[in-house]
Amino acid sequence: MSYRATHTLPFRVELVRQIRRKRTLVAYLFIVALPLIVAGAVKFGPSGDGGGDRFGGGGLDLIGLATHSAANFTATMFYFATGFVLITVVAIFCGDTVASEASWSTLRYLLAAPVPRARLLRQKLLVGLTLSGGAILLLPIASYIIGGITFGFGGLQTPLGATFSQVVGIQRIAIMTAFLALSLLFCAGLAFLMSVTTDAPLGAVGAAVGIVIISNILNAISALGSLRNWLPTHYAYAWLDALATEIDWSSMIRGASYSLIAFVLCIGAATAKFARKDITS
Amino acid sequence: MRARVILLSAIVIALSPLGALTAPAAHAVNTPTMIAGGPASSSDAMPVQLDTEFYLPTTTPAPAILLAHGFGGSKDSVIEEAKALQARGYVVLAWSARGFGYSTGSISMNSPDREVVDVRKLVDYLSTRKEVVQDKKGDPRVGITGGSYGGAISLLAGAQDHRIDAIAADITWNNLEGALFPQSALGVSNPGPFKRVWTGTFFSIGSLGVSGKPTSGTFSPTSLLCGRFAPEWCTAYQASVAQSAPSAQISALMKAVSPATYASEILAPTLLMQGEADSLFPLSESTRTAAAIRKSHPATPLAMIWHGGGHDGGQDESTRLRTQVANWFDIYLERRVATFPTFQLTQSAAAISSQDSAPEARVQLGELLPIDMDFHTLNISTKTQVVLAPAGASPSAISALPGFGSALSLAGGLGAFLPGQSALFLSAPLTAQLPLIGSSHVKVRIASTTGDATLFFSLVIKSESGRVTQPNGLVSPVRLTGIPATGVEVEISLPAIVANATPGDRLALAVSTTDLGYTMPQDGRVYSITPTSPLAIATFTLKNAPSSTPLYIWPLIALGAFALSLLWVFMRRPRHPAVKDALKDAANDVVNDAVNDAEPSAPLVSVRNLNKEYSDGYKAVTDLSFTVERGQVVGLLGPNGAGKTTTLRMLMGLIFPTSGEIEISGVPVFPGSRALAGLGSFVEGPGFLPHLTGSENLDLYWRSTGRSEDPEIADALEISGLGTAVNKKVRTYSQGMRQRLAIAQAMLGKPELLVLDEPTNGLDPTQIKAMRSILKNYADSGRTVIVSSHLLSEVEQTCSHVVVMHRGLLIASGTIDEILNRNGKRAQHLEEIFMDLVGTDTEIGI
Repeated sequence: MSYRATHTLPFRVELVRQIRRKRTLVAYLFIVALPLIVAGAVKFGPSGDGGGDRFGGGGLDLIGLATHSAANFTATMFYFATGFVLITVVAIFCGDTVASEASWSTLRYLLAAPVPRARLLRQKLLVGLTLSGGAILLLPIASYIIGGITFGFGGLQTPLGATFSQVVGIQRIAIMTAFLALSLLFCAGLAFLMSVTTDAPLGAVGAAVGIVIISNILNAISALGSLRNWLPTHYAYAWLDALATEIDWSSMIRGASYSLIAFVLCIGAATAKFARKDITS
Repeated sequence: MRARVILLSAIVIALSPLGALTAPAAHAVNTPTMIAGGPASSSDAMPVQLDTEFYLPTTTPAPAILLAHGFGGSKDSVIEEAKALQARGYVVLAWSARGFGYSTGSISMNSPDREVVDVRKLVDYLSTRKEVVQDKKGDPRVGITGGSYGGAISLLAGAQDHRIDAIAADITWNNLEGALFPQSALGVSNPGPFKRVWTGTFFSIGSLGVSGKPTSGTFSPTSLLCGRFAPEWCTAYQASVAQSAPSAQISALMKAVSPATYASEILAPTLLMQGEADSLFPLSESTRTAAAIRKSHPATPLAMIWHGGGHDGGQDESTRLRTQVANWFDIYLERRVATFPTFQLTQSAAAISSQDSAPEARVQLGELLPIDMDFHTLNISTKTQVVLAPAGASPSAISALPGFGSALSLAGGLGAFLPGQSALFLSAPLTAQLPLIGSSHVKVRIASTTGDATLFFSLVIKSESGRVTQPNGLVSPVRLTGIPATGVEVEISLPAIVANATPGDRLALAVSTTDLGYTMPQDGRVYSITPTSPLAIATFTLKNAPSSTPLYIWPLIALGAFALSLLWVFMRRPRHPAVKDALKDAANDVVNDAVNDAEPSAPLVSVRNLNKEYSDGYKAVTDLSFTVERGQVVGLLGPNGAGKTTTLRMLMGLIFPTSGEIEISGVPVFPGSRALAGLGSFVEGPGFLPHLTGSENLDLYWRSTGRSEDPEIADALEISGLGTAVNKKVRTYSQGMRQRLAIAQAMLGKPELLVLDEPTNGLDPTQIKAMRSILKNYADSGRTVIVSSHLLSEVEQTCSHVVVMHRGLLIASGTIDEILNRNGKRAQHLEEIFMDLVGTDTEIGI
């Protein structure tokens, strides 16, 4: 008989194991439901006179421009989803992955197979990030299609007064998506560390979401002043800079780097911890 | 009432010879004092009494700052600024200007022989204070700052008293006549239309006392009309309003109080701040002052800030400006080495707020002063348009309201451009972003039915959606006289603005015949207007304020963090001599053939001196040694808490032994060891993915093991005896079904060594019997089984060998026969021996 460590827990196997879970389906449905509900509410809601003409204050802010086009609707969905929805989904995919194996008692059989510990984490992280990336990608795609059907596939009008063509609008959405994906790495890393730390899947997801939300709350306290610049989620909304005619990259670079730093440290801690952990679950 | 008591006692203290004794000493925070200023008027040499407040920092001596207030304020309206400067380590002397607050005297609009003399007296006073750093005898180290009226006195006093070492002036005028009678047609000498609403507001503030009532005790008409204004200013004002033009007398008065007149004498480092939302003293006032200083003394340190505030309100940046002012004084009073941006500008819609997704301001920096602008040529419609100025100047457009700013933003854009009374000369849509910074220019030909013209020009932005924006509601008034019938060509200086035109926008020259803020001709007339040049759009090169650290640092730190993480993982890796080889094998993707690697002479399982002590000090396994040979069925016996499961977990590489070694076929066991590839296990219950079926679980598990031989899943499923239930989700299984499936999973691929922990739990007697034969058959094929159980009879019937543990210690091991014959006489059942070995001591450890 023969055994290859590099053939243990292949990516596709782990992907099937995760993708067949109901929570994966629910998370993806949730992502699609968000633009669907918002578009429906605007289009058919009591205050939307059938034409879905502006909601919110109807002002010059991003939300007020949501009904301008598919691109605007997508940017608004990003605005709605940045604070909670995407964080939760990413925390579920990356936070529940190891802890749920522990809670099902499958972890010990995988490790005794033997799947080397570092490889188990690597494969699980890759699949968790893939599923998270899929959700982050699904949001703009679903929003763009739903927004386009509801409000038309026009260009992107920004709160700063500029109007971009459809092509430039899609480019800008791509930039926003890329930044969001990078900035959510912090949440992914944190959730993954929690997942290795605890055997309770809900605890891992909850702890990660909780820490991110606390960071967001601290960020909203203006009395903290420039101390807030050091919060890992301080630049969560830096993708808004992609709406300027000439993009100022500084916040996005800082935000993405912060997120990457936190991610790398979290994954390092998770690997170091897991390598020496007595598996008692 | 209380204020008056304090004031009275302050006066008493200041006037009495005991004052010096009763005044608080070194660490006092602030002291109100009356200081004698300049003469009350040219005919009255009696000095006015200035109501001052003296703020001391914690460490003295320190440089001092004279803090002036705005029109209508007093020393009390600058308390916050004073405290901020005091906290930065400055001695602050705030005072109520003559005619304001509790200072005596009358308002002379910062006249050189009145208010400016007052400031000289204050500097004299500072030169007597030991808390203030003295450069020379009689020359204290002192800066001066203030806004609006206070900004003017800062510039005027700074120019006329060279003992002042640094100036910071906010939202003030350069030329008072130019600000109140603005003429935007270049090269035209007659004054522009009277800025009547703003001036009236100004004057009424000055004629009212601090409590909002006329201050005079006697109801003489003059005191009601003039309030606290000096009589010459009052009469000049009345005359100018009546004529809608400045009298010669008021022109002279205004010239004497304009920094424009004295700018060439400013030698002290000067920070000029001006508001973008200011229809009273627009941005161009600061540019003129800066240009004059630069021209006469190019070496004078000069910096400018165009901020979002101003007399119309706008954006409150007071906190940032206070910091900037203190930074400025730090450099030129504390003589601290620091850089100060030459030009700072607040671009109001430069970014989007994460708080509400609305546009928000950002500070941008320029390396040059906005004196010499870059001009961008933009063609606009040159078609002549005819506009009407109605008789009585009513209805009238509203561009900006004093203190409120752009009327477009207030009234939805209805009031700024009235139909028939306004014209827009549009450009083509822009293809690139164009920042509008400063005062743009255009030439127009104007013809009038009356031979004179009063017109209001502005540069507006029309977005694709048709929305017209007049930046901050600023207009450039023009008043022309003696226009020939063929019209006259003039060059117009458009309002100095800060705005951003984006691609798709059109820029337009807007003309309006009326504006509520100004005095206008009362007869009806018709103008025809023709642009005769393209727009010369003023723009300026700026960059966003840099962050405190350069940007490339952040990706580098991320890289560093990555290296740190790798190091951490490396340092924390479990140390085992064999791990290194395994890692190397994994890295080279070596196919490990357990049979070939195995040393045939080595026992299948060898456990030597195994110890496990948990972090809480509990010893689960102590010095355990035993061996298992191929083909044996070994029973691991012991009461609960004997350490059986801990031993099995260590055998599976799940738990790290504190010390000792485990080998399978001579290959050491550690997490990920290839020795484990020959081990099938079932420990402490089954583990499956509940959302998948039994057969999917076995399939996916097998594909996770990295083993390539035939798993014989069909055989395994037969062993499980689940029948068609294998295609149901594991979630629906009973405990027994899961148990059987788990044992089947352990047997996948027929491993050399099968480890089963309490395999018969949850099985019925028939299934137990079946299980017994399964294990026997398994061993008969030359493979090995380790079974842990507490059912002694079961072990007796199934096993060939026994290992007995109690409290983590090995008590006995050998064949069943050896154990049964242990005490010299043969026991009937294992139970007897077991009770003998373990005793009645069945206390549970875990």
